[in-house]
Amino acid sequence: MVTAASPRLESKSPTGPIADRWDKHRFELKLVNPANKRRFHVVVVGTGLAGASAAASLAELGYDVTSLCIQDSPRRAHSIAAQGGINAAKNYPNDGDSIYRLFYDTVKGGDFRARESNVYRLAQISNNIIDQCAAQGVPFAREYGGVLANRSFGGAQVSRTFYARGQTGQQLLLGAYSALMRQVGAGKVKMYPRREMLDLVVIDGVARGIVARNLVTGAYERYAGDAVVLCTGGYSNVFFLSTNAKSCNVTAGWRCTKRGAFFANPCFTQIHPTCIPVSGEYQAKLTLMSESLRNDGRVWVPRSAGDKRPAIDVPEGERDYYLERRYPSFGNLVPRDVASRAAKERCDAGFGVGRTGQAVFLDFRDAIARDGEDVIRKKYGNLFQMYEKITDENPYRQPMRIYPAPHYTMGGVWVDYNLESTVPGLFVLGEANFSDHGANRLGASALMQGLADGYFVIPYTIGGHLAGRKLEPVDTGHPAFGDVETEVRERTDRLLAVDGRRTAENLHRELGRIMWDYCGMGRNADGLRGAVEKIRALRAEFWENVRIPGGTNEFNQTLEYAGRVADFMEFAELMVEDALAREESCGGHFREEHQTEEGEARRNDEEFTHAAAWEFQGLDEKATIHLEPLDFEHVKLTQRSYK
Amino acid sequence: MSGANPDTMRITLKVWRQKDTDAAGSFKTYYLHDVSPDMSFLEMLDVLNDRLIQTGDEPVAFDHDCREGICGMCSLVINGQAHGGDAGTTVCQLHMRRFADGQTIHVEPWRANAFPVVRDLVVDRSAFDRIMAAGGFISVHTGSAPDANAIPIPQETAEQAMDAAACIGCGACVAACPNSAAMLFVSAKVSHLGRLPQGKAEKDRRVVAMVQAMDAEGFGNCTNHFECEAACPKEISVENIATMNREFLVASFRSRDLG
Amino acid sequence: MLRWLGNALSSSIGKKILMALTGLFLVVFLAEHILGNLTLYKDADGTAFNDYKHTLESFGPLLKVAEIGLFAVFAAHIVLALKLALENREARKQKYAVRAHRGKATAASLSMLITGSLVLVYLFKHVVIDFRFNSAYHEAPAATVKETLSKPSNATFYVLAMAILGLHLAHGFRSAFQSIGASHPKLDPLLEIAGTAVAVLFAVGFATFPIYFLFFWTGGAS
Repeated sequence: MVTAASPRLESKSPTGPIADRWDKHRFELKLVNPANKRRFHVVVVGTGLAGASAAASLAELGYDVTSLCIQDSPRRAHSIAAQGGINAAKNYPNDGDSIYRLFYDTVKGGDFRARESNVYRLAQISNNIIDQCAAQGVPFAREYGGVLANRSFGGAQVSRTFYARGQTGQQLLLGAYSALMRQVGAGKVKMYPRREMLDLVVIDGVARGIVARNLVTGAYERYAGDAVVLCTGGYSNVFFLSTNAKSCNVTAGWRCTKRGAFFANPCFTQIHPTCIPVSGEYQAKLTLMSESLRNDGRVWVPRSAGDKRPAIDVPEGERDYYLERRYPSFGNLVPRDVASRAAKERCDAGFGVGRTGQAVFLDFRDAIARDGEDVIRKKYGNLFQMYEKITDENPYRQPMRIYPAPHYTMGGVWVDYNLESTVPGLFVLGEANFSDHGANRLGASALMQGLADGYFVIPYTIGGHLAGRKLEPVDTGHPAFGDVETEVRERTDRLLAVDGRRTAENLHRELGRIMWDYCGMGRNADGLRGAVEKIRALRAEFWENVRIPGGTNEFNQTLEYAGRVADFMEFAELMVEDALAREESCGGHFREEHQTEEGEARRNDEEFTHAAAWEFQGLDEKATIHLEPLDFEHVKLTQRSYK
Repeated sequence: MSGANPDTMRITLKVWRQKDTDAAGSFKTYYLHDVSPDMSFLEMLDVLNDRLIQTGDEPVAFDHDCREGICGMCSLVINGQAHGGDAGTTVCQLHMRRFADGQTIHVEPWRANAFPVVRDLVVDRSAFDRIMAAGGFISVHTGSAPDANAIPIPQETAEQAMDAAACIGCGACVAACPNSAAMLFVSAKVSHLGRLPQGKAEKDRRVVAMVQAMDAEGFGNCTNHFECEAACPKEISVENIATMNREFLVASFRSRDLG
Repeated sequence: MLRWLGNALSSSIGKKILMALTGLFLVVFLAEHILGNLTLYKDADGTAFNDYKHTLESFGPLLKVAEIGLFAVFAAHIVLALKLALENREARKQKYAVRAHRGKATAASLSMLITGSLVLVYLFKHVVIDFRFNSAYHEAPAATVKETLSKPSNATFYVLAMAILGLHLAHGFRSAFQSIGASHPKLDPLLEIAGTAVAVLFAVGFATFPIYFLFFWTGGAS
């Protein structure tokens, strides 16, 4: 397969010197007359970092905004769970950081599968985000003198991460939420909580609204607009067990894909190395602990396979600090994908610890001996406490047990430089799009991207759409809304009519196991081919055997959930297809056929320096692949090495 | 609460069931025989629901999302205590090993008129959002911010603001308050924003608007029991309430156009 | 013109501040009261107490104004208490089936309405029956006090009432400072101690009178 550009994928990426591209592009974008802004109606789906910041910023500009969220309050979106921090190229510590370095690190960290123009813009905007959030009252950590504190995070060689204790995501989200609520109070945003987007309405080829279900009454509701902005997060829950919140799902993005938006790089999923391992069959989700723990913790397993002695009984000489051994220069701070794979490699080889053997130790013994327990408690007290609550083990006395878990998805709806999908008028922001992280996301970059998209990209680029296209007035009485609503209603009724014997959760768990085993940390062609068959069979089983009590005209959590599982069952197949098509290892995508003799990922830049965007062709049809070639003019393609 | 942990536990659950806001509710009793002490309380409810669905009953509706103690969605009163009685812990982080084998556990929703029951254990907390919309923000347009280091903030101030900002908006303070007052929630935001130099400009307007909005929602009045502080999963201090009282008093007298 | 003040004071926080201020005023009154009562211990024949009473009465109309003022403050404290209690009850129509407190709420804090009501009952007896509106008292103040308090039934009643007053103050005093916004990590422990001290001081201080007159007063001349 040779990378040839698909005419359907026009990245609209500006040309010229990279530092001037965003300026140049903003100048070229059409502006909406201030007096006309209130006549344009924008529907924003989701209220995480991207959604809340977008809705607030668009309303501030004067647009008439409708915002929906799936939770009972916009403040609860899963961005809230991000712990570690947010990157910015402020260079406050004077340690050599710059916009260019942040750009460079992000492109390299993404294993050269992201669009350079986008990443550079992200690095440029990163500084404005910190200013904006500080002005909103986000209580970032400070030095005694009152200036902002920074820490080094996720293996970065500079201190560029801003943080608010271990709750940076929460504080940034509450900042965006407060901006959103300010606009709600001012009447500029109409807020609809406990609503789930179930479909996109496309009229004359342009996204003109959505159909959502009111999760309290069960009513189907129509929302019309001149643009639809999707900020619906990632799809890690396709694995069932992930660090995502329970309501995270792929439904909005997937239904848009079925309406003509292309889905890019679905196989790029990030497995986070420091999560609390699975403890039993009943487990509903996995808990992540900030990777800042790796700044002081040392990762190890016993030298001999099957050694089940308690950690403290294993003498120093019989411990294998495998990250330090394999990656002497980065040691325990190697990027997430590398750390995760190394843990899996040890466990698969029989060196795993704990009852299940699916865990490695993260040991603070040496750090406590060096700095004292108080210092460690001050840095990580809340994480240690959380660990103890969940496992009933005291990490000050014995090492933590950790194992990788699905955490973030770099893949998402394909968007151009304007964050507009292949359906005109449908914009996709934050984790829901595919844009900036390539094949692997660096720590403290997700918050940066979500807020960049919402605060500082969409307010400009949406103008290009609204001012640049002739948009006929459309309201919810348009027949297209009726047709879509009927389809959605029929699908839900079909779900309820199955009346089988298995719960949606049970079926979801089975799907998760297939995905984890065959499309998780290690993937190979045989496994992936088998997985396609297994997913299809399971999907058939789902539609024959799922059991959903209750009806549609009521608050029915089982029904909501089953709808999401049904979409995962379809989407999973695309993920596997993508993993199968990408005959290389890069970032979070590790094809076992493509590795070096030392077991490191081997990219195939000749054939795969592209984003793969998939066009849905029908459920039992093979999706069509479209390629967007990626140019690396500034960051030279090199093999990532952390040795 | 905690006893010796057997491999599995027997639990009797008395769960509040209510079809919708207007329906009358009642307790239903369920017996679970194979509860693992390592389960979280919500995972135990998952197991119950799985069984209810299998046997053709309607599962228990309850709010939950992140299951790591930060989203503020979960909201159960367990044996009379909001979030179940472990200090600084949300229900999703509460584990069954904290209960005794054979124990009977009452599970109720947050109870307050301002939080009507939606179904079973799910309540409507949109009153909190309306209070926030009234003034829980710093008015700064996107793009108009000065450099983040332009305003130095003493570390102690930032830390105090962070203590208050840690609120997850779960509503346990209201649920635990003998008077169903929302003072801890509102004061945490008033205090977080009011302490910071950026938030001082509209300090008076904020506190008056938020208190008025709070009163309009039908929450009770604070009588300083401090049960809210004890129940708060983020251990937010009632000192914030005193701060809000003071700010409200000052704002009422000082401001020229409020009230 | 003063709508802003009305709005401020009728808000949930305004009502609490009024509760606190009226309550603190009443504590000041108690202090004055107990100081006056101490004159009973000054001599055996009650001259000091009688003089004290006459001094107060010598203020004439000013005393009336003070009494009416005191009554108004009491009334405001009581009316606000009832209003708050009703609103607070109303705020949770559906009660919890099982209720457990976490130990922050105290017997004192949870029983403010009850202890307050009992203090009111006590006040009725104390003011209307025993002293202020009892003509015998005005004729022979000290003697009436001693006679009244030396009866075992009355003494018991008064001691119990003072215990209840103490309970009321144990929460009320500390709570008032919180309500008017006086809280700081350095101040709060002092306020805790002060609250307990005020409660004990007044309860024990006032209770010494019936105890003294019941057990140690030998009766006779006044």
